[in-house]
Order: sequence, then C-alpha cells, then structure tokens
Amino acid sequence: MSTSVTRRSAVQALAAGAATLAVPALAQAAPVRVGYAIARTGTWTGGAQVSQEPNYLLWAEQQNQAGGLSVKGTKRPIELISYDDRSEVETCVRTYEKLMGSDKVDLVLPPWGSNANFAVAPLANRFGYPFLAPTALSKRLIEMKLPYFFLLLQQPAPMTTALVEMLKANGAKSAALIYVDDLFGLENYAALKVALQGSGISLVEDKSYPPGVKDLSPVLRSMKDKNPDAFIGFTYPPDTILASKQAKEVGFNPKFFYASVGTAFQLYKNVMTPAGAEGVLGMGSWNAKTSAGAKAYFDAHTKKFGGKEPDRWASGHCWAGLEILTAAVAKHGLDRKAIRDYVANTTHETIIGKIRFDGSENVATPGTVSQWQNGEFEVVWPKTVATAALNPAKPAWK
Amino acid sequence: MSAGAWLELIASGLITGGIYALVALGLNLQYGLMRILNIAHGEFLMVGAYLTWMAQTSFGLHPLAMVPVSFALLMALGLVVHRLCFKRLAATSPDLDVFEARGLMVAFGLMFLVQNAVSWIWGGDLRGYDFATAPVHIGNAQFAGNKLIVFALALLFALALIVLLRQTLYGKGVRALMQSPVGAQLVGIDTERLHPLMFGLGLGLSGVAGCLLSMAYTISPAMGEPYTVTALIVITLGGFGSMSGALAGGLLLGVIEALGMHFSNPSLKALLSYSVFIAVLLLRPKGLFAK
Repeated sequence: MSTSVTRRSAVQALAAGAATLAVPALAQAAPVRVGYAIARTGTWTGGAQVSQEPNYLLWAEQQNQAGGLSVKGTKRPIELISYDDRSEVETCVRTYEKLMGSDKVDLVLPPWGSNANFAVAPLANRFGYPFLAPTALSKRLIEMKLPYFFLLLQQPAPMTTALVEMLKANGAKSAALIYVDDLFGLENYAALKVALQGSGISLVEDKSYPPGVKDLSPVLRSMKDKNPDAFIGFTYPPDTILASKQAKEVGFNPKFFYASVGTAFQLYKNVMTPAGAEGVLGMGSWNAKTSAGAKAYFDAHTKKFGGKEPDRWASGHCWAGLEILTAAVAKHGLDRKAIRDYVANTTHETIIGKIRFDGSENVATPGTVSQWQNGEFEVVWPKTVATAALNPAKPAWK
Repeated sequence: MSAGAWLELIASGLITGGIYALVALGLNLQYGLMRILNIAHGEFLMVGAYLTWMAQTSFGLHPLAMVPVSFALLMALGLVVHRLCFKRLAATSPDLDVFEARGLMVAFGLMFLVQNAVSWIWGGDLRGYDFATAPVHIGNAQFAGNKLIVFALALLFALALIVLLRQTLYGKGVRALMQSPVGAQLVGIDTERLHPLMFGLGLGLSGVAGCLLSMAYTISPAMGEPYTVTALIVITLGGFGSMSGALAGGLLLGVIEALGMHFSNPSLKALLSYSVFIAVLLLRPKGLFAK
C-alpha cells in the first residue's frame, strides 16, 4: 500500500513537473478562438478540402509558429474550433449559430460554396461577425447589402465579361453552353447572356444539367455537330472533369474549351494528364508567378500538405482574405465592428494584388480567364494580370 | 439525325446502362435473394474504387489487374460483415419482415461507418486517374476506350452470374433459398454456408463495379449514394432477384436517359428515371420482366 502511494505521488510530481516545462511563454496569453464549419464529408468536400480548409490550417500554423496572431501588438495563439458541416446547409447554419451565439468565438471563417454562404450571410450580419468569403459567387448575395459580408472572388458579371471579351478579341463567332442547375450555374448563365449582348457571338445551344450528372455525352455530341468556336461550361469539379473527358471521347475539340470550378485544381492536370489539359481554359486568377507572396504561399502550402498544391483560383482569394483579416486584427484587435470598417474602407495589398470592396463585392480584382499550358494554369486574360500569352487555338485532346 | 448519330446515342446509353446493371447486380443478390436491403451498397462500391485508385497511383498497378483483387477483398469484407452483423440478425429476428427492417438499420449504420472510414484514411478530395481515355472508332461512331472496357466487363459479370445461378447446383440452391428458406433447409441445402457466400458475392460485385467506375469517373467518399439509388430503381425495373431482369433494366434505363437527355435536357434526367420507376411500380409492380 505504502509503496503504491509513493509511486503514485512520484508519478504526480513528475507529471506536474513536465506540465510546467511544457507550458511555453506564448500560451500564457489567452488564445484567439477562431470558429468555422466546413465540409469534410458529403458532396462539397472536393471543393472545400482543396480551396478552403487547408488554407485555414496553414494560416493558423504559420501564425502560431511566429509566436501567435498579433492582436493590436500582443501575440496570442490561434485556437481553431472547427466542425464538419456534412455538406448540409442546415448543419452549416446551426453550427454558425452555435459558434457565434453560444460559443461566442472571437472570429469566424466562412464555409465553402455559394449555397452555404448564402445561408449563413444573414447570420453573420445578425451576430456582427465579419465574414470574408473565399468561395461564393452570387449577385443576389451582393444585392442583399449585408455590411458584415465580403466576397473575395470575382463575381459572375466580371468573370463572364472577361471571357466574352477574350473570345471576341480572338475572333470567336459562336459558342455552346452547359451549366449546372443551381445558384452558381444559373447566375453565371444570366451574366453570360448579358455579356454576350452586342458581342457578335451567338449561342448555338445552351443546356442545363443536374449536379452529380454521370453522362454528358449526348449533349456534347449534339454540340459537336453544331461546330461552335467555343464551348463554355459553368460546371463543378466532377462535371468539369466529366465534360472534358467526354469531349475528348466524342472528339469535340472547339478552338476555345472553357469550364469552371475545378479547372484550376491540381486534380485536373492529374486526371487529364498535363498533355491532355493543354489549352483548356477555365476560371482561374493567379498562380505562383503572380507575386512573390503568391510564390511563398504556393510553396508553403505544397510543403505542408505533402505535394498538394493550392488551386489557382479560390485558394489564392482565400489566402488573401486571411491576409486581410490578419492585418485588421493587428490594427484593431478583436473589435469586430472596427475590423468590419477596416475591411470595408481600405485598399488591401494581397498575394493576388489589390483588393477593395464596394459594398460586399471585391471590385479591385478584374475578371480573369486562365489556361493550362505545359502543366501550369496560366492567367491569360486580361493582359494586365496575365502570367502568359493566350494560345487562341486549343490543340487536339491527348 | 443520321444513322451514325443514332447509333452513337443508343450505344452511349447502353454503355451507361451496362454500368447501372453491374451496380445493381450485387444489390439484387443481397436484396432480391436474401432480403438484406443493403443501403451501404454504394459505399462498398466506393471502397472498390478507392482501392483501385490507390493501387494505380501509389503502386503503379494496372487498373484491370485490380478487378479480381477488389472482388476478392470486398468478398472477404462481405464475409466478415455478414458474420458480425447479418448472421446474428438472422438468428435473433422472429420473422423475415423484422429481419428486413433490422437489416436496413444495420446497413444505414454501415453506410456512415464506411464513408467516414474512407474520408479518414484518404481524405475528402476528389480523386481520379487517366486510363484508356483515347477514343476508339467503331464505324462512324467513337467511344472512350475505358467505357468500352467497363461495358464489356459489366456484361461479362452479369452473364457469368446469370449462368452461375441458372446452370449450377449452387445456383439452384440459391434459387431454392429464395423461394423458400425453410424448404431449402429441409431438402438439405446448406443455408448456413450459402447465405454468407451470397452476401460476400454481392459485395465482391460492388467492388468490381467500383473498380470499373474509377477508370471512367472521378471518385470521392460521397460517390456511393446515387449509385445505390440507381441500383434500387434498376432492380425494381427488372424484378427483385432476377439477374437477367437487372441487366435488361439497367440497359433500358441507360438508353431512356440518353435519349431523354438528347431530345430534352439533362436536367430532366431525374424526372425521366423516376417517371419510368413510378410507371413500372404502378403497371408492373413485380418488374418489367416478371413471369
């Protein structure tokens, strides 16, 4: 009996000693609690785990390695409080209500995708938490005029205008379109129709398809028969790849082949092979050549996640949003009203260039078009931000 | 439309339909023969797809070499799952209806378990690889090589299963089991062995389907569920327990969808599939091909 007590107290003493040693100086400052919900399971996962959550993790790690997040000059460690939203809008909304309403975290980071952001945007406003959304495209979201909500990506109007300008400048006369049947597809479709007016480019066919589609070849075959100069797809990652593979399969190879979410992913060149991806256009806005900061971010991301590259569109915007948030907290601490005002009224310097908000919309980043060239997704339009020259005639699928 | 275009359209429908049939076969064995409504069928298919993807990208194995491997691995997994779950359920359930209800609950649990295990092991990213995507010309039409391989193998497996059930003593035993479990036992059919074996075979087939699908599509942990739903439609079309019905039902659904998509809009695909489904349930509730 007595020996066991001795042993126990010895263990306790050791543990206490170890605990004292293990407490680093920075942990004495209370952590900054940053909450978010993101898809780790379900249909949104493919996008969320490429464009968004890895960036949150990298950001927290980098800040903590540098001694913590600077809160008005005081370094405090970041504590991430995160939940799986299971790709469900209701779960997402409930989680943010919990994070902001009962957990009362210091800051929140947004969920993935237009639909989820659309659902949580009003909450952000009600609770007064600034949201810098990296993956939301919606004109309607901007029209809601929510003062705490900021959208980092270029919106449908500038993106489709850039696309149409590029097509027009390179002599395209006709286009065929497919778009996914949800908020993202519908808004881009509407914006494209406006952008096409007076451009001299006719839409020879437009068809919608449901999310999760497994076969687009009947549509692509009929498009091939009409022989348009350009193919435009407002698509999500699995459909982007499906449309590309099936275009190759049916021998549909227009001069301009444009698809949307997922073209900027490393996955695209892995699945299509770099030679197969050559000349494919898509939604992208930066790469490692865009700025020194972009290169440093690209390298740090690739290193931390074992060779997994950030995508060349939303990931860059996500990181830019985290840069803005970091600067805001350094300047104004955790006063969320002050952070909101700072975000709304400042021209921010980020890895993807200047960002400035008019209402909720980022109006400083121009609409862009990117293209796969030799295994890199190069920004090719407009020329002011291009990292390479456009190849105006896509080579045959390989 | 030219004759060549019609050929292409119908053939692309048949190819998709062949995939539907293959996915439905395994579930049909489990539900049609054994009344195990394995809602997790698509999840096991997803495991087969991930195994193939991993073997291809990490070890450079040829995807076709993974067809027998994923069949064997998933079959073994099926035997284990049967022993752990369904054997006990069969022993403790008072009648077949209770067994079916309890089995459904267990299958739901398996669905979450498998999906989360795969997310945990491989992460939630979309995955895929390039395999035989070069187009193959047949007459005036052209198709992706991988789709033709998938179609050929789907047909092969479906026919093999049909022959197995029709022509062999084993098959007769299985059909007897389906008609009357007690009667089958009375005439000396070893249901204790046949039950797990058929469940394992069903899972093995889902593994093959997953392996084949990974050659043509991107894969993710959430990919399984839509296939389970399609499989349920197909086996309802073809009649529960009828393998040739599942094959014909799958092909039919593929062709209807392809034609519908061409002449209307892909967004109406779900409407079409479910219209066919409801019409069959109303007009021929035992399946299109029931005798």
